[in-house]
Amino acid sequence: MKKADIPVVKRSLFSWVFAGNVKLQLSLLVVIAIMVFARVVPLEMQKRIVNEAINLRNIDLLIRYCGIYLASVVFFSALKYVTNIIQTIIAQRATGNMRKELYHHILTLPLGFFRNTQPGSVVNSLVGELSMPGNFIGMAVSAPVTNVLTLLAFAVYLFWLNPLLAAVSLSIYPIVAFLVPMLQKKVNRANKKRVDAARTLSSRIAESITGIHEIHGNGAYRIENKKYDRLVSRLEKIRVVWSLYRFAVKTSNGFFVSLGPFIVFILGGYLTIKGQLELGALVAFLSAQERLYDPWKELIEFYQVYQDGSVTYKRTMEFFDVEPDHAIEPYDRAPYDLEPSLEVKDMSFVTDSGIRLLDGINLSLNPGELLALVGFSGSGKSTLALCIGQLYKYTGGHVLIGDKEVSDLTKKDMVQNMGFVAQRPFIFEGTIEDNLLYSCQARADGTDPETDGLPSLDDIIAVLHQTGIFVDVLRFGLNTKLVHEKHKELVDVIIRVRENFQRDFGEELSDYVEFFDENQYLFYSSVSENLIFGTPNQNDFVDTNLCNNQYFLNFLKQADLTRPLVSLGSELARQTVDILGNLPPDAVFFQQSPIGPEELDEFKLLVERLKRQKLHELSANNHKKLLELGMRFVPGSHKMVALPAILENLILEGRAMFRQKISNDSPEAITFYDLSQYIYSQTILNNIFFGKTTTVSPQAQEKINQSIIQLLIEEDLLETIIEIGMHYDVGTKGDRLSGGQQQKLAIARIFLKQPKLLIMDEATSALDNNSQTRIQNLLETRWREKSTVISVAHRLDTIKNYDRVAVMKAGKILEIGTYDELIARKGMLYELVGKK
Amino acid sequence: MNSSERNNANPSSELEDNLEILRQTYFFSGLPLETLKVFAYLCTREKFKKDEYIFKQHEEDGRAFYIISGSAILERQDNDTSKKIRDCAEGEFLGGLTLLGEVRRLFSLKAAKDTICLVLEREKFTKAIEQFPNIMPLIFKAVAQNIDFWEERFLAGRADMCGECMVNLGVSLI
Repeated sequence: MKKADIPVVKRSLFSWVFAGNVKLQLSLLVVIAIMVFARVVPLEMQKRIVNEAINLRNIDLLIRYCGIYLASVVFFSALKYVTNIIQTIIAQRATGNMRKELYHHILTLPLGFFRNTQPGSVVNSLVGELSMPGNFIGMAVSAPVTNVLTLLAFAVYLFWLNPLLAAVSLSIYPIVAFLVPMLQKKVNRANKKRVDAARTLSSRIAESITGIHEIHGNGAYRIENKKYDRLVSRLEKIRVVWSLYRFAVKTSNGFFVSLGPFIVFILGGYLTIKGQLELGALVAFLSAQERLYDPWKELIEFYQVYQDGSVTYKRTMEFFDVEPDHAIEPYDRAPYDLEPSLEVKDMSFVTDSGIRLLDGINLSLNPGELLALVGFSGSGKSTLALCIGQLYKYTGGHVLIGDKEVSDLTKKDMVQNMGFVAQRPFIFEGTIEDNLLYSCQARADGTDPETDGLPSLDDIIAVLHQTGIFVDVLRFGLNTKLVHEKHKELVDVIIRVRENFQRDFGEELSDYVEFFDENQYLFYSSVSENLIFGTPNQNDFVDTNLCNNQYFLNFLKQADLTRPLVSLGSELARQTVDILGNLPPDAVFFQQSPIGPEELDEFKLLVERLKRQKLHELSANNHKKLLELGMRFVPGSHKMVALPAILENLILEGRAMFRQKISNDSPEAITFYDLSQYIYSQTILNNIFFGKTTTVSPQAQEKINQSIIQLLIEEDLLETIIEIGMHYDVGTKGDRLSGGQQQKLAIARIFLKQPKLLIMDEATSALDNNSQTRIQNLLETRWREKSTVISVAHRLDTIKNYDRVAVMKAGKILEIGTYDELIARKGMLYELVGKK
Repeated sequence: MNSSERNNANPSSELEDNLEILRQTYFFSGLPLETLKVFAYLCTREKFKKDEYIFKQHEEDGRAFYIISGSAILERQDNDTSKKIRDCAEGEFLGGLTLLGEVRRLFSLKAAKDTICLVLEREKFTKAIEQFPNIMPLIFKAVAQNIDFWEERFLAGRADMCGECMVNLGVSLI
């Protein structure tokens, strides 16, 4: 492990120019040198074409010089393209490196930094703002070198042709170099005024829109118009001035540059007439003068990119220029293996703004003891746990874990020995398994996972049981659809489970299941499932392809279903967009929606169109979209629209018609629902039920779970389903899990890690009573003596068997002892548990 | 749900029915229609068979209930004896406070006959509130007024029957 170099936030913008890019930058310089040469060659050729080829009327020379001219132009263009490629690679590499290093730095910043920083501004800095400095890095060598070299080459060539004419015609550039920055300053000042005025105007608009009811109520249109118009006029004037300065920069630059040819004509013409300058040289001079403009313009643009890039870079880096509270890894030793004893001596924690959140904390714990921290909200119990866990840096006193001062330990030392379950744990995008192994993988990071030992499946299953998330994972597994080739051997077993289910629980659970009955409408299945009533064996009969299947579309027409289903789709679209139109793509909002979050914008446009157009006036594509939506309708879930009885009957009749039709035309296309057949288009659970659940009520779920677990144990299938369930995708920020499931998963990932010091910050607050009790029992039996446990308790009935209870108030420990001692003392705990 | 339940030519959707219910519930009635629609959409309906518990004492279920049909009995268990507090009839809304914060049930609610409830979970409620932070003051106001109204009504009608419990009056002062 190496000691870190200069922190990324301290690095200068120029330090990125050659870092990791030395070879590329050097090859760029070589290319540029050749390119500049290729740029001057045409000038000399121009001179020779006029002086030698045309003057001497020599066709061979003309062809030769024109050939060289053409070759050098083609060569120059090719080199220019190569330069652009190298420049782009350097720019993207630099931006990528800046993004990576800054992100690595940001993750190590203290928690306090993020309390005052919006995630949006971090995103903006990393994604948006760093591209501008990156562009500068790409140009940092090539632009100045190319353009300065080109200017120099042209200047040298011009002096070689005629020193006097060269000196006079180049004399305008110092004037431009002086004048343009001066005018640019005025542009910048006017621009600042414009931004301020635009901001004032924006807040004016926002205010009047927010208070629109008051404006309507008072009929105060004229007053508001006057206020608004005044600001618009002001902005108008400022923008005119700003534009005038901008054009002044452009015009004066253009004017002075255009003066070049004028000087060449007047002085060069005079010299040519007098015979002191060849005609060819004059042509070359004029051409060079014109070409001087491009490198000059590019230099000025480069200056602008440098200005913008360096300002953005400086602002971004300054914003994140905060020291991490603790080193991430030790660089000269292996992480400590600490004895989990705890000694807190006169510890205090004062915030940056001077508020004393903890004061004079003293406590000690032997390895393997259990400590409960209790007190009202704001008493400091969570803060104390966070300080012990090194998530906050205490500002006074000492916290010693195994005789080592916590503030001197690195993060790696802590994660090696400690496990922390937060009050609101965070679940990351990925599968259940990814999240379960998160803490173990983080601890193993950098070491060999083989030797470091990631947990085995048996360990994982044991922890799933301990934390009570087993049933949830089982449910995720049961809600998976099996794949023909992958799970062939599983299918027969599930058919057996189905038979046993029908025999043992069919009647008992019939209230919670809608069985696949050929003569009944399935309210918990989609319209397409109701019509097909089977598993498609051909791809064009799969749900998502049905509306592209001409055979099926013809059937819908024959069954008089096309128009009612399109109409149903339009109503679903209207209602769903009305409710969910402005909500974020959180799984909670879209659970009961026929439209997925990714399709919402598309349907918003379609609903807008429906306000102006009748259904039959829609394009074929939009028509298809609405038909598809109608086909997805599940009355039991999509409550925004009711299924009219007439449509229900039509669909039921359609089911029979379809069965007859497809059996005649293509009997292999569909396998109809049959008790003896596995239905691949349905989940494992629906296959066991031969139907679908109709309720999400916890009591019903509990009954269903018990029966299913019993059946799966009988067939030795439980572990297999759990393994499948561990691949369940938990969604962004775990939004496809309930709060309780998230908390159980967070506890499970720490339990798997088996830390020597376990800190739980109200870690079971979102759990049901049974899960809380189960975890409590575990802490008091399995964890006791193996690990030291510090638990911030939200329920006082859970702490009776703890070795120590510390009662906190206003950042101080008021009393500490065993539960019984404190109750007998009739102090604060006695009061808290409501004995008083 | 079966076809006999939906034999109207133009049946109203469950969402519309839920919206109508929420508009009559003190907790939600003051909210703008746009947000109310979202809550109505997030509600689910649950059936409870006779004698099934809708929620249990000591549990922290985080759900609010509106009795759409059927009836329920509110009970409290002390020292292993269960005491009936009162009947809860159709149209009653219970558990608004559970939507606002984690509170453990002090009572149990048991279905007296087959009962259908409209249910809103705190998790869904919280997610929706994050999208409409402006409505929180309206909800706080409704809850505060309702607590005040409840105690005022109690004091006017039943306070003299309180006896020793008199010293514990004043829930509206919290």
